[in-house]
Amino acid sequence: MLAGFSPLRAGDTINFKEQVWPILQASCFGCHGPDDQQGQLRLDARAVTLHGGIGGPAVVPGKPRESLLIQRIRSDDDEQRMPLEDDPLSDGDVDVLVKWIEQGAQWPDGIGSAAKPPPKHWSYTSPERPALPSVEDSDWASNAIDLFVLSQLESHQITPSPEAQKRRLIRRLSLDLLGIPPSVNEVERFALDERPDAYARLVERYLASPLYGERWARPWLDLARYADSNGYQADQYREVWPFRDWVVDALNRDMPYDQFTVEQIAGDLLPNTTLAQKIATGFHRLTTCNVEAGVDPEANRVEQVVDRVNTTGMVWLGTTFECMQCHNHKYDPFTQKEYYQVFAYFNQTPLEVEGNGVSYNFVGPKMDLPLTAKQQAHHNAVTERLVKANVKLDEARERILAGLPQWETDLLESLVNEPKWHLLQIDEFRSKNGAGHRMLEDGSVLITGERPDIDTYELQISTTTDAITGFKLETLTHDELPGKGPGRFEAARPNFVLNEFVLTDVEGNPIALEGAIADYSQPNFDVKNAIDGDLKTAWAIATEFHKPHVAEFLTSKAIHSDGKKQLKLRLEMNYGGGRTIGRIRLSAMTGARSMQGVSDAIVAIVKTPVAERKPAQTKQLTDYYLKQSEEVTKLKKQVDAVKKELADVKPTTTLVMVEDQSRETRVLKRGNFKSPGESVLAGTPRVLNGLPDEAPQNRLGLANWIVDRSNPLTARVAVNRWWAELFGGGIVATEEDFGTQGDRPTHPELLDYLAVEFMESGWSMKHIHRLIVHSSTYRQTSKTRDDLKNIDPNNLLLARGPRFRLDAEQIRDNALQISGLLQHKMGGPPVYPPQPNGLWRHVGRNAPKYATSTGTDRYRRGIYTVWRRSAPYASFTNFDAPDRAACVVRRARTNTPLQALTLLNDVAFLEMARAFGERIHTLPSGSRDEKIVFAFQTAVSRYPTAREMEILQEVFEIELTKFKEDAGRAKKIVDESQQSLKDVLELATWIQIGHILLNLDETISKG
Amino acid sequence: MNNFDDAMLDLTRRELFQSAGMGIGAAALSSLLMAEGTYAAETSNRMDLSPQVGQFAPKAKNVIFLHMIGAPSHLDLFVDKPKLREMDGEKCPEELFEGQRFAFLRGHPTMYGSTFDFQKHGESGHTFSDVLPNLAAVADELAFIETMHTDQFNHGPAQLVFQTGFQRFGRPCMGSWASYGLGSLNQNLPAFVVLITGSVGGAGNSMWGSGFLPTIYQGVEFRSSGDPVLFLSNPNDISAADRRKVIEVINSRNLEQFKDVGDDEIKTRIGQYEMAFRMQSSVPELMDISQEPDHIHALYGSDPSKSGFANNCLLARRLVERGVRFVQLFDQGWDHHGGLVNGLKNKAKQVDQPVAGLIKDLKQRGLLDETLVIWGAEFGRTPMVQGDRKSAGRDHHKDAFCVWMAGGGIKGGSRYGQTDEFGYHPVENAVTVPDFHATVLHLIGLDHEQLTYRYQGRDFRLTDVSGSVLTELIA
Repeated sequence: MLAGFSPLRAGDTINFKEQVWPILQASCFGCHGPDDQQGQLRLDARAVTLHGGIGGPAVVPGKPRESLLIQRIRSDDDEQRMPLEDDPLSDGDVDVLVKWIEQGAQWPDGIGSAAKPPPKHWSYTSPERPALPSVEDSDWASNAIDLFVLSQLESHQITPSPEAQKRRLIRRLSLDLLGIPPSVNEVERFALDERPDAYARLVERYLASPLYGERWARPWLDLARYADSNGYQADQYREVWPFRDWVVDALNRDMPYDQFTVEQIAGDLLPNTTLAQKIATGFHRLTTCNVEAGVDPEANRVEQVVDRVNTTGMVWLGTTFECMQCHNHKYDPFTQKEYYQVFAYFNQTPLEVEGNGVSYNFVGPKMDLPLTAKQQAHHNAVTERLVKANVKLDEARERILAGLPQWETDLLESLVNEPKWHLLQIDEFRSKNGAGHRMLEDGSVLITGERPDIDTYELQISTTTDAITGFKLETLTHDELPGKGPGRFEAARPNFVLNEFVLTDVEGNPIALEGAIADYSQPNFDVKNAIDGDLKTAWAIATEFHKPHVAEFLTSKAIHSDGKKQLKLRLEMNYGGGRTIGRIRLSAMTGARSMQGVSDAIVAIVKTPVAERKPAQTKQLTDYYLKQSEEVTKLKKQVDAVKKELADVKPTTTLVMVEDQSRETRVLKRGNFKSPGESVLAGTPRVLNGLPDEAPQNRLGLANWIVDRSNPLTARVAVNRWWAELFGGGIVATEEDFGTQGDRPTHPELLDYLAVEFMESGWSMKHIHRLIVHSSTYRQTSKTRDDLKNIDPNNLLLARGPRFRLDAEQIRDNALQISGLLQHKMGGPPVYPPQPNGLWRHVGRNAPKYATSTGTDRYRRGIYTVWRRSAPYASFTNFDAPDRAACVVRRARTNTPLQALTLLNDVAFLEMARAFGERIHTLPSGSRDEKIVFAFQTAVSRYPTAREMEILQEVFEIELTKFKEDAGRAKKIVDESQQSLKDVLELATWIQIGHILLNLDETISKG
Repeated sequence: MNNFDDAMLDLTRRELFQSAGMGIGAAALSSLLMAEGTYAAETSNRMDLSPQVGQFAPKAKNVIFLHMIGAPSHLDLFVDKPKLREMDGEKCPEELFEGQRFAFLRGHPTMYGSTFDFQKHGESGHTFSDVLPNLAAVADELAFIETMHTDQFNHGPAQLVFQTGFQRFGRPCMGSWASYGLGSLNQNLPAFVVLITGSVGGAGNSMWGSGFLPTIYQGVEFRSSGDPVLFLSNPNDISAADRRKVIEVINSRNLEQFKDVGDDEIKTRIGQYEMAFRMQSSVPELMDISQEPDHIHALYGSDPSKSGFANNCLLARRLVERGVRFVQLFDQGWDHHGGLVNGLKNKAKQVDQPVAGLIKDLKQRGLLDETLVIWGAEFGRTPMVQGDRKSAGRDHHKDAFCVWMAGGGIKGGSRYGQTDEFGYHPVENAVTVPDFHATVLHLIGLDHEQLTYRYQGRDFRLTDVSGSVLTELIA
């Protein structure tokens, strides 16, 4: 410290030059001085110090507590405390600075640098309606857009290109507004429409078409990272397609973009929120979700919140929040703390994964949708059937039960001759596979020693009992058996599986058995299986282990012993694993069991006088009795089937946002959720507009702030993206970054004009699209010009119209439309168009199957194709579709051999070529040349040139000749269903031509 | 190709079409375009695969990256820890689990010493357990990193980190960065090829995705069943000659279109149709390993009548021979939470001979010097036992695991980093995934700090904001 330092006394006036400046110089200028301005702050310049860097004013005169300078030098957090990685300032120095600020932070002129704070970055100032520039060739301009474009062109001495030919123009417009090409009739009607407002009429018709919403939903779904699966290993299917349909519908209705925004970010928090508004919140439920075993649910939740914050920044603000997760933004005026303030808005949602330490499941909030009219009608019909089926069943029950008293009487009568049991002597026992045995005193045999995998016991028994009507097999427990038995399988599960109980006389003649009952049978292992002659079925006793069991087998007719009778018994046990019986005792029965199969329990009930029966007993008896009736059983099955059908009428569910608990949000040091730092409240970045006064402290407040008229980014970012979608590049080329590192707008006034126009039109997207497509700029021919090759190779000045390849889904839609296959059904669950087999193997559990759609669903627009993140539709991937695991603002537009292979060989495209060929072939009026013209027009919306005509004529003749030479070749090209059509060889030729046309660069490009 | 040549070529084509009357059957067109070969490169200014020169003289031209999905146990393959054996069955020291979060282990786990026998091999003295006899025989070619660590302990996120440097989706993988940095050396095959044995790990196709880089840099999967490249073969037995005809007509029409509107993308597309046609023969030729002699199959343990990891190793060699710079192999099935002894034996048996065979084969062809072979996984496994000891397994472990490299630019036999007595924490020279990435890029001539791509206003790197080249491993 300085020599001669003395503590301050209250009332001392601070001398800036002598007391403050030296402190700043010694401790701060290294990073915040003339050579380096970390955080865009320099403390050697008064103006910058007062204005502050990205964190806000460093010094607020009179208010040391609100001055970042003081906050930071006093911080307890090592990562916050200034000077960083250096000793803290002494208390004395801190005192000086505090006092200085308290006293008004006087900073006399002439000390330090005169540097001014950097001007606010252009995009952080709200757009204002710019004055329209004057241009020389004002006739060219159709609307304000053209004035901005033309004034730049004129300043470069460039003339704009002429308007595209009408046929090319309608194709461009149709692809841009509807996403599919116009039909030949439409093109010709427009080409011949001489009315001055023909184009305007066309634009209005297209803007009103439901196809518009489908076409414009695609880029939004990329932003929303819309997919039908969770991502990661399990990548399960999840139902969220109502969100996709909501987007299509909102765009078709031209829902104001502010409302469109609020409903997606915070629809659940709106007062009197509607079903549709809740569906809209699916936007932020489209994050990936990891349910792999061992995942940390909270880590997963934090990742999801991070994704929601980053996506919100990118989609609405054209701002990369991501960098601020770990530190202040390096270039843009956003701080790490501000990141977590935005994070706080999203931090109130529940865990979406639940697990027990072994398996984990997706449990994120879902909402049932009401049944659709169709579902409801079905539901009603099934309910009606259920009522009818129940009536029938009840009626049958009543009728059958009327016979119960008589049955009881019969049973009691038959019991007069109650059965008696006589122990059977086991003369011989043999285990076929080598188990040992020991005879026990009670007449049973204990099986010992070796435990063969499967076994057959062969017993010889003898009896003096006459008139045997049945046999009893007791499987007994014993201490020597594993788990006491009665089976020999492992101690915990001493089961046995008896496949067959076969009784013969000594000569081997079978003794017929016709009834079997047991005290217990394992489900699907009924004791009756033991006498069914089928070695694949069996009697077993899981899980009633460790206790004896008994089975009785009744003979078809009584067996007479004539004094002494010998019998042979074979017990087949071939299940494997040593599931054999451990101890056996046999008895013979005499007497009658005329009511075969009635268990002792039922007999006991019947013997109880009716008045003394307990309700449970009565129920047991009636249940038993009814079960014997085939009619009742059948009717009951019918009722159950209808019940299941009813249960299958399930409502569609969709993912929605819900608030869970109020969580404290803390800055996560280095972005690590295990290192929480200071606690923060929800808030928005300082450099942008302030929060509206009435904004609530939740997502709704954030949404309101985003669409506030004073937000400088929202409108600009949106109109710029649409511009890019139509022109192939944005006015700001870096659509995803409007910060200082992003590209500057090529036409700043135009951007602001569009942004203001957008907001003032009530945030109407269709208004902006109408404006753009009406401009002369948009309507120019897209032909490249030699004079521009060097001056403006990338067409940034817009001296010609846009020309570029269609995106993945459009390539499909375009080809479907050309081939005549396109189905215009809107909405609903995702569809499964043809793709090569085996692509959905990249999966863990719960793997859904790719069941290729048939019927209309096979030919629906690309936006309805199922989107599995681990294996998106292959042809889309080849045309640069992302996997939608994260928000994508701008798709690449590559040009690869895989794309050529896709169009040439993908069966989906081959199907389209066949349909296209058939369409040409079956054209009612048709010379060869008329058909060629039709085909060409259908593909590219214009007439072929003479030369193109000649090419196609020649292709036709050559191909046809060759098919004639080799009809087998034609058969390979023509689909089976088409073989019956007339002139198959000609059809094959048209398919070839159709296939060629679908592959043309012109066909897959907008120009 | 310079502008003059370009113009000449256009002129030639124009004449050709004029004289040949529309160019139908103009076989010359194809040969002309084929000879030229580099269409994509010459015409596209934003994203192309033309060969590029890196920042350094490359030590390796090619990379073969073997990723063992599921994470093998380093403690049962490469790292012998006597102390761990000694403590087998004892409660693990508190500091090993206090405050740690595991995927599955709960409570106070017990230690689990490896039941495999370990031996030192070669002059290097690298340790291998006895389930890797073939690999042990090439010990001196390998350089080991014993102290790799990552910050994710679930497969999906950790695989993303290992491949893309970042635990969330959306970033390019190392192969994509390499393709972006170096372009392609061949005109008949993709620059970056992926071969998969078994199913794919949790991060799915994002492990070979190009993230925010143009999709031209993403890995192209060569599948072992069905079409090796999707949509490669002509459907319904359409003959190559027929397909040739169709492509010729398409291209002649596209050329007309180019003359009309002058968009260079059209020329690129013409080139891509030509390359597609060439791929229709070059890929099946590549995939047909039955042409390989018996002694080669004996070396790899490959079998043309089957598919599997051994075949993929052989294919990897065939790919680099044909100028594919980055070959990524995935082999699934290493996640031994239980039944580790038999499970690991099995897996080791499946990869030991093929990997060793690959190294030997590359060497005998003089390709090892220019080909970097990498073997690794998304993380390692705990020294603590998971589950019943009778069918013992090990849990995920992120703090220390092994990666080895061999071939181009690698100091064979070297070893980097040391772990504690349980192979649990690095005690010396811990290596981060960005360090590893930086090293691989360095070996193929790319400076990981210079290899950037501007996206969202930021210059993104594979190594983000860190990463140091491990010069100790470099010859």
